[in-house]
Amino acid sequence: MNTFQLQIVTPDGLLYDGEAQKIILRTTEGDVGILANHCDYVTPLSIGIARIITDDGERKAACSGGMLSVTDGLVRVIASTFEWAEDIDVERAKRAKTKAEARLENHNRSEYEYKLAQIKLKKSLARLGASGRR
Amino acid sequence: MPSMKAIKNRIKSVENTRQITKAMQLVATSKLRRAKERIEQSRPFFEILSQTLSDIEKSNKDFSSPFTHRSEGTKTCHIVIAGDRGLAGGYNNNLFKSLRINDGDIIFPIGKKVTEYFAKKDVSIFTTEYTVAADIGISDCNSIGASLAEAFLKGEFTSLDISYTSFVNVLTQIPKTQEILPIALDEGEKSENSLILYEPSPAAVFAKIVPHYISGIIYGALCESLASELSARRTAMENATDNAGEIIDSLSLQYNRARQAAITQELTEIVAGAQN
Repeated sequence: MNTFQLQIVTPDGLLYDGEAQKIILRTTEGDVGILANHCDYVTPLSIGIARIITDDGERKAACSGGMLSVTDGLVRVIASTFEWAEDIDVERAKRAKTKAEARLENHNRSEYEYKLAQIKLKKSLARLGASGRR
Repeated sequence: MPSMKAIKNRIKSVENTRQITKAMQLVATSKLRRAKERIEQSRPFFEILSQTLSDIEKSNKDFSSPFTHRSEGTKTCHIVIAGDRGLAGGYNNNLFKSLRINDGDIIFPIGKKVTEYFAKKDVSIFTTEYTVAADIGISDCNSIGASLAEAFLKGEFTSLDISYTSFVNVLTQIPKTQEILPIALDEGEKSENSLILYEPSPAAVFAKIVPHYISGIIYGALCESLASELSARRTAMENATDNAGEIIDSLSLQYNRARQAAITQELTEIVAGAQN
């Protein structure tokens, strides 16, 4: 299968720089898959599971915020956070999930708190999903 | 001449001080290495982000975003980043001296020293949620970026700038102020037929990315400020350690002189007593 160059950058540094066959990401418009020879493309990312298929197999990660850009065959994922499945702290994600759920149950919360809890819940679900222990 | 006991006590206290300053210097040195790595790591993220923003702007002729629009009025929001602690030479003060704040401006303090500094002044504070600069991570920067972008759109202020200490090298740190909003993009040629596909639309992508751009700048400035603080502290503590060494040397000299003088006096007294 054809491959393309993939770079994944976060404020913590360059997390991946190499060849990939396919990448599937959650954007604000829904899941998007990129293959080699994609046209030039830019879209913002939302919180979700990222799947990267390389010659060595599939890797999963939890990804949030930022954007995806394709320029002249170079695919860049510029994310606020990007954690490989094996680096995810499952216990912490579980705790965050229970906490966020409890916040959403509570009815005397402000609009802002509600939004915040929703984001936290999404993030923890993405983390648990990527690590395969939802 | 002070007594031998007094000199000895002073030597001891200076030695204790030297131990503390030496320890602080070592701690700052080891933390500085990590802070420098963090600056290097955060750079590509921000560079690519601002590159994309200017690409979007250039490739669209009829493009306008409230974030690039310079509106009437001169109400500025200043993000000020300084340290949480003192004992870092002129690090905090140099930054405060470089600030240009007009009446009616809003301050967004990051760092305990900034919060304390502005608490005494008659200025409005955006929020005091982020008082400890060392605890702020990328997710905090994201929420700061989002809330500032929202406030800008609401018209709470007409421009946004950030004051921080830029890290040139271990010996030089320069206080700097940089404008964030409205976004000033390179005035390059606009190419009419760009083939980049933006989803859902260029304007929507732009609006989505701006908060990330702001948080990227804040995070970058935060990393630089932290490294500057540590190297300023290291230099200050190195000087303090050296000075303590000098003081100890001169005090030891005094102590030895006093000791000799005492012995000489005792001898003279004995000899004088034997002759009688």
